[in-house]
Amino acid sequence: MAANHTIKNMAERKYQKVYTSNPLDEVDADTKEKVSHLENYIMKHCLWQFNSRGWDRRKQNAGILGQTTQLLCGEEVNITTPQEKCYWVDAVMLDRNYRELFPWLLELSKDEIKALMKHLNARLDWTLIDGSLNLELTVVNY
Amino acid sequence: MPYHEFECSKVIPERKEHAVIKGKGEDLTSCLPKGYLNTIPGSISERGCAYCGAKHVIGTPMKDVIHISHGPVGCTYDTWQTKRYISDNDNFQLKYTFATDVKEKHIVFGAEKLLKQNIIEAFKAFPGTKRMTIYQTCATALIGDDANAIAEEVMEEMPDVDIFVCNSPGFGGPSQSGGHHKINIAWINQKVGTLEPKITSDYVINYVGEYNIQGDQEVMLDFFKRMGIQVLSSFTGNGSYDDLRGMHRAHLNVLECARSAEYICDELRDRYGIPRLDIDGFGFKALGDSLRKIGLFFGIEDRAEKIIVEETAKWQPQLDWYKERLKGKRICLWPGGSKLWHWAHAIQEEMGVKVVSVYTKFGHQGDMEKGVSRCGEGALAIDDPNELEGLEALETLKPHCIFTGKRPGEMAKKVNVPYLNAHAYHNGPWKGWEGWVRFARDIYNAIYSPIHQLALVDISKDEIQTDYGFQTRRMLSDKELPEEIRASTELSEYTGNYDVIADLRKKTYPEFPRTSADTQKDAA
Repeated sequence: MAANHTIKNMAERKYQKVYTSNPLDEVDADTKEKVSHLENYIMKHCLWQFNSRGWDRRKQNAGILGQTTQLLCGEEVNITTPQEKCYWVDAVMLDRNYRELFPWLLELSKDEIKALMKHLNARLDWTLIDGSLNLELTVVNY
Repeated sequence: MPYHEFECSKVIPERKEHAVIKGKGEDLTSCLPKGYLNTIPGSISERGCAYCGAKHVIGTPMKDVIHISHGPVGCTYDTWQTKRYISDNDNFQLKYTFATDVKEKHIVFGAEKLLKQNIIEAFKAFPGTKRMTIYQTCATALIGDDANAIAEEVMEEMPDVDIFVCNSPGFGGPSQSGGHHKINIAWINQKVGTLEPKITSDYVINYVGEYNIQGDQEVMLDFFKRMGIQVLSSFTGNGSYDDLRGMHRAHLNVLECARSAEYICDELRDRYGIPRLDIDGFGFKALGDSLRKIGLFFGIEDRAEKIIVEETAKWQPQLDWYKERLKGKRICLWPGGSKLWHWAHAIQEEMGVKVVSVYTKFGHQGDMEKGVSRCGEGALAIDDPNELEGLEALETLKPHCIFTGKRPGEMAKKVNVPYLNAHAYHNGPWKGWEGWVRFARDIYNAIYSPIHQLALVDISKDEIQTDYGFQTRRMLSDKELPEEIRASTELSEYTGNYDVIADLRKKTYPEFPRTSADTQKDAA
């Protein structure tokens, strides 16, 4: 097959930036510090955030951090596709390590966890996609 | 932007944007060198070419294949053997290399007839091998030889053979990485889906971006088999040509070296819906987490956990023996591409060394993102360095050891910096728990080798000390150690065998009964 494989999701690959500056600039110092701990763990130990194209990175960030948020909040994660299961695997690892390394996270309410994880998602989208210096993120082919 | 300008490269101002020093508070929006660009004229690069990247790195580790270069004989010779990617079929792909030996007359009159003659001769000389890869080179690409057409002709005349053509001439990219890309895409376009594999497990993976350097793939295969996972194909170390034609039937792509093989994983995800799971096979924590993730995906995490407990109990005291003796040693981590991020954090955490510099010959900015993130403040990150920059960095950073390739490694030795071969290893395998201890042992042996003390002495001018004899590594490494560490009975040096792969090849594995509804269909 495949020699004449066509790209199905070209619009997604020609994406627009979501952030034009660091979304944490206006956030309070305590939140910034908490996000930096969570971010640092991901950058040192994980690989899922580094897919080579921007559109993949955005999906990875949303998929894995979304499911991690659900796990941290004790909510059920709905998995219907192999790709979602793959997100879930990394989300479970992140959930476990966050609980072990950052016990303060468990003292937060569900709403606070969700807000914090949203900031983390925004921060990773900025660092790794919209604010990134990596010139290959917008190449439309793999 | 914290760019670093080398004194020796001031005459090449464009080089400045290819090196950064990670400062306090820097992140990837402010600290990232340029990468994967054409080497700047005047800078003598250590890179290979796109043909080398396709053939030497990715194609040739396939074990049951006649690998033939269509070009002058030097191209094939210079991409032969040096990577130590062994295989369990008596290293066929290492023992033999094939070339069409193109000469000036062929450039003038065409080399297609020569190619066909060589293909047929090679198959006749090795009648047990029915698979072939053909690699285009600069010369034959420029004269327009149609290797695909010749391959089709031969396959018609010899129906029992199958041939893959890789059109990645040396000029096909800024570095060997261009060749990695081309062969990934060529393989999925030409070969994936052309053979239906036999499925024998409920849990089926492709193990991608693993080249079996000194047996790495076989070490990982052992873990997968202990978990009851079928490795449908290995791309490409110790991998079989026909297995790799069946990649489309895996449930999961487990990706090790994203630099060289993410393209085929991304395409398999896009075309066949097989997800991509990136793992780290190096380091106790990273490897344990990797097996856990695969176990989680298939719902067999308990099997991974059993392996992790057994292996950690056995090897942790030995790793710690070396960690005590390597603490604080400065390391320049200067590999080709992916190892800068596979190793940067793990060696600091688990061996106690400090990574003072990372570089990549052919990596992309994505590799540097991972590398810069995983090393600490003050680390110097260099893209596509030249030899003078390497020497200047060694003089400035004064590392105790560098992990790099043969060419910069030999240069480092001349300035009395021990080096370990990051591409082909010293006494690998270095993957797995035991492999990680072997790596630590190799670092220890390099740093504390008495030869470095002897080599420092210049007999033409230095005074020769005569009040002590030859010193052993242990005498050098334990000099400053506290007594409780030196005399510890819990910690010990590496106790494994010289060859750890031979036993793995003889090993038998438990049967895991299948439960999947597809069992009958797959068996049929």
